[in-house]
Amino acid sequence: MNHKNHANCDHVSHFIDGDHKRSSVLKATNLWFKYEGQKSLLQGVNLEIRQNLVTMILGRSGSGKTTLLKLLGNLITPQKGKVEWLAADANRSAYSMPIAYIPQSLGLVRNMSVLDNTLTGALGYTPTAFTLIKQFRRETLSDAEEILKTLGIGDKKHRKVCTLSGGERQRVAIARALMLNPNLILADEFVSQLDPVTTMEILDMVRQLAQSGISFLVTTHDVELVQKYADRVVIMKEGHILCDHATSGMVVDEMLGCIK
Amino acid sequence: MKQQGHLEKIIFTLIFGISSFFIWQLKLFDPQVFFPGLKRLAQFCSYLFPPNFDILPSVLWAMWETIQIALAGTILGFLMSLPLAFLGAKTFFGPTVTIIARGFIGAIRTIPSILYGVVFVVAFGLGPQAGAWGVAFYTLGYLAKIYYEAFEAVDQEVMEAVRSTGCSKLQLLRFAVMPETANTIISQVLFMFEYNIRSSTIMGFVGAGGIGYYMLGYVQMLQYQNLLTTLIVTFFVVMMIDFLSFRLRSMIVVAIPKP
Repeated sequence: MNHKNHANCDHVSHFIDGDHKRSSVLKATNLWFKYEGQKSLLQGVNLEIRQNLVTMILGRSGSGKTTLLKLLGNLITPQKGKVEWLAADANRSAYSMPIAYIPQSLGLVRNMSVLDNTLTGALGYTPTAFTLIKQFRRETLSDAEEILKTLGIGDKKHRKVCTLSGGERQRVAIARALMLNPNLILADEFVSQLDPVTTMEILDMVRQLAQSGISFLVTTHDVELVQKYADRVVIMKEGHILCDHATSGMVVDEMLGCIK
Repeated sequence: MKQQGHLEKIIFTLIFGISSFFIWQLKLFDPQVFFPGLKRLAQFCSYLFPPNFDILPSVLWAMWETIQIALAGTILGFLMSLPLAFLGAKTFFGPTVTIIARGFIGAIRTIPSILYGVVFVVAFGLGPQAGAWGVAFYTLGYLAKIYYEAFEAVDQEVMEAVRSTGCSKLQLLRFAVMPETANTIISQVLFMFEYNIRSSTIMGFVGAGGIGYYMLGYVQMLQYQNLLTTLIVTFFVVMMIDFLSFRLRSMIVVAIPKP
């Protein structure tokens, strides 16, 4: 990191931040991670995700964004540090999971229908024996159909995912995440392969969902998307968090200065 | 470039030299063996004609039994291969379980199908039961290996996405791994059925039922015209099943475009 970048990030971190009043849903403390035989991808990362906000992690390729998301989603285990779930357990039902994860290529099963892909979101709270013969609770089925309808793909529920457009697949991935009734959705660069119009539609949907009470943590390398759609930005570089701040008042050049 | 061309020449010369040595050592073209052999072969072929179609009903019945052995053996082997492939895939289990499962699969694969026929004739006596079990075990060894390799090759992002829902290992198999590998599962089991029709024919040679038992009997009793009838029936049935299997594979296995 050069001196100039340090100066820019210091400037950014001094903006007034009103989001601290919101309660946190997730807190990561001193996270260290590296794959065997490789250098550390994350070096002492501290992060707090706040309720009902769209937080975007901004950084160049290899900055550690995806690794951080996988650690928060409990898909990999840190060598050092901890991830704490801070949402009130009293609000959680037996039919929900606190965090949903959407990988970069969405991780949809291409050979299965839209509805079946959506129902995979309910696997964690449906007994294995029933799901093996594709039997779900009636409420689970109607929830899945309702979510698909809300996301505008209710009429395509029986179509195989491989026959859908990029934007429609994005909606299926969101539908699967929503089936977990999560407080937080982690999405890894999930609009990076879409055209600008579809990106806008999907991120508008994300903002609406955030207003309805679901927090989002989205990784991206697109500064303009951050400025337009994020409430907070976390800027990462070489396994460190350089800045974690509200986006209001920040300009593109300041963010670019940090990630360069 | 020049050095590589030189190396290729040496390799080709070596392969050609070794093959020629083996052909000479096995006396494949020894005039004292080869030409009298050709003469006897022509004589043998002349004994085959005309085919005797009087035995057609019993040959067709034996062929039907061969198809039953192949189909029942393939289905049994397929059903046994899935749980074994599940245990052998590193996607689901740690090294202790996978090493044991793979060792077992490897041991099953070591034994040729004809030897399974002998083993099950000893166990269950002469007849199609022995043949079907023999085919089943050979199928198990072949499919389990292909399947655990296919299971491990499933896109990691699909696995992560489904695993992140908090599902169990069996749910992961049912909702991510099996749909993603459906094409391999179906095409390989159909291919195995085609192969097993041919291997079920051989099973009869060791008394494990089917048309092979008749073939061996006709050879031993020098009834070559009857033998030709069994060969003609086998040829038509194998061709028909190859064709049907190919059509079925084309119908079921849909090409999935990449995202």
